Amino acid sequence: MELSFNIEIKNDDRKIVKIEDYTITKNKITFLFGESGIGKSLISKSLFGLVDPEDLNVKINGIKYQEYLLNNPLSQEISNGFFVFQEPSTHLNPLIKLSDQLNEGDLLDSESYIEDLLALWKGNSAEEIKKILNIYPRPYRPSGGEKQRVLCLMAIKKMSILQKNQESENSFFVFDEPTGSLDNYYRNLFLAILFQKYTEINFTCTFITHDYSIISFINKNYKNLINKIEFKELYTFEDNLRIKKFTPEIYINWVKSIGVRLENVKQISNEKVLFFNSSFSIFNNTFKICKDANYLYEQNLVINSGDIVYLKAPSGEGKTTICKIIMGLIKAEKFLFSLGNLTFNENTSGSIYKEQVWGKKAVMVFQHADEALNQKSKVKDIFKGLKGYKPDAVKPMLLNLFDEKDITDSFLNKKVSVLSGGQKQKLNILRGLFLNTSLVILDEPVNGMDFESIKKVIDLIEKKRRQGAGILLISHNEEIFDNFVPEEKKYYLKK
Amino acid sequence: MKTANLLLYKIDKQRDLKWFLFYLVGIQFLLLWNELFLNKPAFALLKEAFLNSFIIGALVLVFAFFLSWGTVNLRLYLTNKFNGILLTIIDFIIDTIKSIPQIISVLLGYIFITLIITKETVKNETTIILLISVLLSIVIFPELYETMINRIKYFKKSDFYNSMLVCGINEYRIMNYDILYKNSVGFIIHKLVSLFGVALFLQCSIDFIISVGLSNDVSLSNFPATLGNLLAKMDSKQDILAIGKTISNPLYIIKLPFEHLQGLSTAFIIVFTLLCVFKISDGIIKRIGK
Repeated sequence: MELSFNIEIKNDDRKIVKIEDYTITKNKITFLFGESGIGKSLISKSLFGLVDPEDLNVKINGIKYQEYLLNNPLSQEISNGFFVFQEPSTHLNPLIKLSDQLNEGDLLDSESYIEDLLALWKGNSAEEIKKILNIYPRPYRPSGGEKQRVLCLMAIKKMSILQKNQESENSFFVFDEPTGSLDNYYRNLFLAILFQKYTEINFTCTFITHDYSIISFINKNYKNLINKIEFKELYTFEDNLRIKKFTPEIYINWVKSIGVRLENVKQISNEKVLFFNSSFSIFNNTFKICKDANYLYEQNLVINSGDIVYLKAPSGEGKTTICKIIMGLIKAEKFLFSLGNLTFNENTSGSIYKEQVWGKKAVMVFQHADEALNQKSKVKDIFKGLKGYKPDAVKPMLLNLFDEKDITDSFLNKKVSVLSGGQKQKLNILRGLFLNTSLVILDEPVNGMDFESIKKVIDLIEKKRRQGAGILLISHNEEIFDNFVPEEKKYYLKK
Repeated sequence: MKTANLLLYKIDKQRDLKWFLFYLVGIQFLLLWNELFLNKPAFALLKEAFLNSFIIGALVLVFAFFLSWGTVNLRLYLTNKFNGILLTIIDFIIDTIKSIPQIISVLLGYIFITLIITKETVKNETTIILLISVLLSIVIFPELYETMINRIKYFKKSDFYNSMLVCGINEYRIMNYDILYKNSVGFIIHKLVSLFGVALFLQCSIDFIISVGLSNDVSLSNFPATLGNLLAKMDSKQDILAIGKTISNPLYIIKLPFEHLQGLSTAFIIVFTLLCVFKISDGIIKRIGK
């Protein structure tokens, strides 16, 4: 059974979200994708009754928010359900121990979660788990992953309590990016528990995520549940939002198809764009670059003209740091690299980067578009100040990642701050690729993007490569880039 | 009707605009009242003092802005071209200005200006007003300079600055256009508005101190009429003292707005301006924060 909602959310006079056909399928798990900032969380929060009517002007099915909440068709499901917020730090109370927060309110049941707790922390001893739960979020600061697992555990515990009290009918759970801070191991543990619970109590669930690799994982490991799972994507259409269902095959086949693009592609030239010595030291740590995932074979990182190189490392292991060293934004204690005919080491003067590197030999696209772009700029001004900028070059450049029908005067005159996260990221990439540099460094280029945008970015990277640029890629989106980049062009970084 | 309602709604939402309009209306009312009930020479003096004080305040803002902006750019130029010593000198000068209480610096400056006046190096009233404005702006510009520097530091901490640098965008453009113009205008206007209040307050305070009589050379008669200057005159002081009379004779309050207008109007303009400046800058900062 599908519940349909017409949702309109405004801030003063400015429309934030308008969707006429948002649907929730009861007793199914819906994986909701869409570019960041498009409104996934806000829509889910508004349906869950979590938006402050003083802050935002919300109408659902044409009814004012307060009135809607009084007759909410999901009220029973919500009171039986749970909302896991995207940002664990703001969801958790900093002044109450994690173990106590797991027993607050509806969750007051001392036994209903031990089994799930152990399952979610599989690989940790009981003593280690106890230690984590026995702390306050501040000042002891559990890691983002630990906090996120505690939040997921709260929802799972609620499911267990419902099951125990035989009240599992009509419950609605929302998980807003619950695996954003989890590595694949813990993500998979959580999904296993979630699907196990689902088979037992059959709840309604919206699972908001940007992690497209979840699709392949589910398709591979939970085929028996595939008819109980829906994949939906929010997208913008003529300034409003729409939602569409898609099958896992669409994504999986595309990922397979990008793998063949770079195979058997002729080397454009042997002109060396970047040579980076395999070992460097910074912040009293020595890093090494290896050619294998087991870090056995140290090798210098070499990028030739027309190469795409994928640099891999676990989160926080220095991927962005090495890029910043190349761009001269951080000074390492010991390093050696060459960019074309220029050689750089710890004694190189900082002025050479300004004179010969930035925007000339190399460019770097930073991972957080929100920080990297001037939020107060208009879209049409985003390329101003770049070498070779002309006002009539803006539209052709935008066409690389935006649909022609979307590049209206109104869009060009919009401030960057009102764009969705995905649109900002596209502008961020386009600004970097506008320049004609021999090296392009892309740090998490598909962050917060929807599937269609990811496809376009991959096409654009490939186009840039064909034009002869050397490209250094950094991304945690391994499924896509592992397929895209041939094995011999992958490097592994280790502290 | 609908447009008028929308306009009123927008004004009501924007606290700074509301207080600015309130200020204009208040001052207009006061001037009208004085036109009706204050004697002509005193009213002319009040208008002159009001105008001079506002011209000084406005000039201070212009000078302080260019001094701050120039110093920020000079600092970047020196950072790129030279190492160490010149940058340290600039920081030292600014720290020195900041370390001396503003009122002392202005007082010292007034003594200097008086000396120039008494030696008849400067005779023209416009030049004296310019000198006072320059003096006040030198004393208070470090506040605006710090606002600008803090905004730049804030953006340098994030990827904003570096991501533009590595695209080859000129550092002066990033600092002046992208940070100060596009992202800090609200902060700068807020600071300028509050500096206007500071300039007015400093003028009045110094005029009052001088009116007590620092030396034979430094006296208010050497300076152009300003609000502080006018308030420090014996007539105005007596008008203010008349307020005290209402304690023993409450009905005397009726006579105040008719018989003691010069002093009360001057004091009212000063206090009302400072209050409105505070409210306007508060409104601006709230609008920036939204």
